[in-house]
Amino acid sequence: MKINVNEQPIELDQQANIEQLLTFLDSPLKGSAIAVNQKIISRSEWANYKLQENDQVSLFQAIAGG
Amino acid sequence: MLTDAEMLRYSRHLLLEDVGELGQKDLKNGKVLIIGMGGLGSPAALYLAAAGVGSMVIADFDCLEVSNLQRQIAYNTADIGGDKVALMKQRMQQINPEVRVRSINTEMTKEQLLMELMMVNLVLDCTDNMASRQMINSACVDAKVPLIVGAAIRFEGQLMFFDHSQEDSACYHCLFPNEDEQALNCSNSGVIGPVVGTIGTMQALEAIKHITGLPSGIKNKLKLFDGKTLEWQTFAINKDAQCSVCGNPK
Repeated sequence: MKINVNEQPIELDQQANIEQLLTFLDSPLKGSAIAVNQKIISRSEWANYKLQENDQVSLFQAIAGG
Repeated sequence: MLTDAEMLRYSRHLLLEDVGELGQKDLKNGKVLIIGMGGLGSPAALYLAAAGVGSMVIADFDCLEVSNLQRQIAYNTADIGGDKVALMKQRMQQINPEVRVRSINTEMTKEQLLMELMMVNLVLDCTDNMASRQMINSACVDAKVPLIVGAAIRFEGQLMFFDHSQEDSACYHCLFPNEDEQALNCSNSGVIGPVVGTIGTMQALEAIKHITGLPSGIKNKLKLFDGKTLEWQTFAINKDAQCSVCGNPK
């Protein structure tokens, strides 16, 4: 399955949920926010949210500076 | 009614169909709390003072340091060591003696913040750390006060508007639920001045629009600004029913 993460194409062996994607990317679960197709996915939904072919995933961190 | 002096001072607002005399009176009656007088608070507080927001409360407990001056454009080199809120209040009143400014020079508890929220109708979060951001969000949810959040590091900015006067509003905690996380800040990551200035300026713009009754395009949205490409990305934030701050977790 092909998806895009921060505009980079990623190939997954099988359908994944968001937690599995973050594990695959070796990305920290803490401090991250995820949007799929420009919609933020709440952290409480990560384990159940199944990614679809061609999803545009945006992964970013909380920033606190000001 | 606006006075003749006000008509002259705000003439460029009065020319705008979307502001006009009614909008200027709304600004005069506006009560805004701005928390954090750094790189975001500098342009935000100065623009709102210039625009004639009648009552403002500004909060910060820092003294001005030389490393602040690269981006915190409200201050001067001669001000180093002074209390930021005292310096900012003076600066705002130099720009516009018509506005009332009260300063808070201590780190507020949530109880103190809730007291302050009873006296304002809008909050700008211009702080520099995650713990303050979570506490401000939680208090604004409790008090049902609209909150405009800005943040910046490196060449990146984030802007959000949560209108907590609306029942279905999402909140900062829906987006970033980890209260104890070490989020990136200016001291550990660096920041370029005009990026934090752009976000603070956008907070002032959204505040003026909110006070004058203009619709905001960013409620329940996260705007990400890339200072290298000058591109903005927009993400929709839905209220998280499981959010421990604004939802009803099981």
